Amino acid sequence: MASGSQKRLAKEYADCTKTPPTGMSIHLANESDLHKWHVTLEGPAGSVYAGGRFGLIITLPTDYPFKAPDVRFATRIYHPNVTNDNQGGICLGLLKSGNWKPSTRLLSVLEAIRGLLAEPQPDDPLEARIAHEYQNDRKEFEKNARSYVNHYAKGPVKFDVAPPNVNASGSSKDGAAPSR
Amino acid sequence: MLAGPRCRNFTSLYSYLGLSLRHIPPDIPALVAQCATPPVINGRVLPTTVHTYSRRAHPPQAWFPPPSPPHNATMPPPNTPEEGVPTAGAVVPAPANTSATYILGRHHLYPEPPVSPPPRVPTAPPAATTESSRATTPNPSRSSSRPRSASRDSSASCSNRSCLLPINYQDLHYETEVDKSLECPICRTPFHLPLTTKPCGHTFCASCLDRALEIQPLCPIDRTPLDASRDVCHTRIVLDQLDRLRVRCPNRGCDYICARELLPVHYERYCEYTMVHCPDPDCDLRVARADARGDRGCLHTFTTCQYCGKEVMVAGLEEHYDADCGGHTAKCGHCNAIVVRHRMEKHTAKDCPRTMVACKWRPFGCSEWAPREVVEKHEQGLCVYQAIGRLARDRMEDRMIINELKERVSAMDERLRKSEKKEKNRSRDGGGHFGGIPSAAPFMPDLDLNHSPRAAPSYNGGTWESPEDYMLAQFERIESRMEDLRKMIMELDGHHTMRLLNDTMRLNEQIAELGSKVGVLGMHTTWLMNVQRQSRGQQRAGTTGGTPGPGIGVAGGVSGGGGSAGGREEEARRYFSSSNDVGLPLRRNSDGRNPPRL
Ligand SMILES: [Zn+2]
Ligand SMILES: [Zn+2]
Ligand SMILES: [Zn+2]
Ligand SMILES: [Zn+2]
Ligand SMILES: [Zn+2]
Ligand SMILES: [Zn+2]
Ligand SMILES: [Zn+2]
Repeated sequence: MASGSQKRLAKEYADCTKTPPTGMSIHLANESDLHKWHVTLEGPAGSVYAGGRFGLIITLPTDYPFKAPDVRFATRIYHPNVTNDNQGGICLGLLKSGNWKPSTRLLSVLEAIRGLLAEPQPDDPLEARIAHEYQNDRKEFEKNARSYVNHYAKGPVKFDVAPPNVNASGSSKDGAAPSR
Repeated sequence: MLAGPRCRNFTSLYSYLGLSLRHIPPDIPALVAQCATPPVINGRVLPTTVHTYSRRAHPPQAWFPPPSPPHNATMPPPNTPEEGVPTAGAVVPAPANTSATYILGRHHLYPEPPVSPPPRVPTAPPAATTESSRATTPNPSRSSSRPRSASRDSSASCSNRSCLLPINYQDLHYETEVDKSLECPICRTPFHLPLTTKPCGHTFCASCLDRALEIQPLCPIDRTPLDASRDVCHTRIVLDQLDRLRVRCPNRGCDYICARELLPVHYERYCEYTMVHCPDPDCDLRVARADARGDRGCLHTFTTCQYCGKEVMVAGLEEHYDADCGGHTAKCGHCNAIVVRHRMEKHTAKDCPRTMVACKWRPFGCSEWAPREVVEKHEQGLCVYQAIGRLARDRMEDRMIINELKERVSAMDERLRKSEKKEKNRSRDGGGHFGGIPSAAPFMPDLDLNHSPRAAPSYNGGTWESPEDYMLAQFERIESRMEDLRKMIMELDGHHTMRLLNDTMRLNEQIAELGSKVGVLGMHTTWLMNVQRQSRGQQRAGTTGGTPGPGIGVAGGVSGGGGSAGGREEEARRYFSSSNDVGLPLRRNSDGRNPPRL
């Protein structure tokens, strides 16, 4: 029943494009493939990420909706719940394979990610160091986050974060952070 | 009537009858014969018809699991539900594609609609294969990921040449707006074979829920732990609503629209576009039913396209013209539009703005004859014959409705007459139970509507002043007649229902009587066996007087000979008095010694 989930995918896509969450615009990576979405997300106003434009790549498995979608940042971001590397993995309870519910709409996944930017979850971190900084030295965290935004999240969003260009695009992992 | 211990099966049979009465008059004798174990699941009685999908493929008795011992044999073993492929065939041999594997392990709420994609045949060249597979096969990649259908996929050719591809309900196009509450939260299409979870009351398609539970045994909405075999039940109200949704036939090229309930009939029997097995028994591909007819033989040979010169499979020619034919378009001679060549006829007949056509109200007197674009404007506002044309058209529609009603009434009448006849025969045989059921004739007044004026334009010579007056009069007449018909049908319906109820009441009584008789018989047997055991025991103990041995059978039980008889009868009396204490009302003869009689 691949075509069945195709229908669901089409509906999810229609829902998301018709009434996208604030500050998001959604496109298909490739017109004929509903399984890969490119989402551009504007940093929520009032948060440290305001003014930045972040790329999100959503990959829907062939088993969707029975398996959770894979969502990662294409743009580097300084955030306790996002890996601080070119993979951009996100820690979101909703998406963990043990928590995923087949009835969850992608619209709510997008909302949740937006929520994560507005309010990071340091209790369930992917980057323990950043989480610690977020909890104990908010000033420093905000400074770092803003410099990341200025460095990576200005200008047009690029979605080409394939593993091959890891070395080409980013310098060494820690050196990428402009001011530390 | 004796009120003996009532077998549990009969009790459920009653409720079964109560349930099914409203649907179809069940063939009671046949039912009693088959229904050794009535369809009760978790204390609920299954309805006769759970889903239309099965109505045709499985005659009603398919819903009865066979009596206990074979029952286990035909069901898939509980822990390996995937293995049970062609099971229900033991009851009713079903065609291969409708083989009733049961979704959700031990649940036989729904027979599984066949999910396996059709056999793919590797011989066809790539271009043609992709085309035909797009049209007919569900994506094979998905099936390979699932062990369940693997066994069926591997059988490349289908033994039953009349099998059809299953309807993919999740791909249907719905014509009516579908209420959001009828959408499955997993596939987000209207439910197909809905199942509701018992602990949390969420509803899903059987196939969706099945797959979700395969991955983790939790409700896909709120993650309540679910046991697939126990915690789901079907949802009748939802089914009724779903049955009424209007859908378009899923076959490419077919414009048929009907209630979803009726779709399988159209798809399986009538649709000319349904893909059936190639008439050539050696060919495993499929062709549209229309193409399979006649002596065209196998259409999976190659031919050269007359427009572009490509090699194309005969069966895929239409598709080739529409999709990837290089020289497939041409200029319309009237309007210069570029049109797919083999659609040119349709273009001139329906779309071309420059082709000369007549006003659609021509039958009512308009003489307009101009290019289509002009005529369309004319039809929309200028045509003076529009009003009368509309009226006449409405009237024609009304007439069709009346004719249909007429047919229905006469069919009902026919049925009533038949049951009347049956009733008469029966009361002749069994001494008339129900008097006073009026004969059919009084409900059937003259139904002949044909005397009403038929030809619309007759108002010219009539007493009406204008066509409008004439039409209005006609309308009033038709309306009142339709009202009459409606009343008649309702009346008939009422009588019919009463008649049915009366009939089944008697049958119910008879069944109850039979039930109690069986109970009494059972007691007889117990009593006889008791007596027998008793006398054997006495013999083994080496009794003194009585005739030793064989006089024990039925006769021996009732009147045992010799000296031991007294003891045995004493025993029997004790047996019966004790069973009376338990509350079984038994009749005794005056001497109080004989066992109860039937
Ligand atoms: Zn579903
Ligand atoms: Zn639930
Ligand atoms: Zn059709
Ligand atoms: Zn063929
Ligand atoms: Zn061609
Ligand atoms: Zn034209
Ligand atoms: Zn006209």
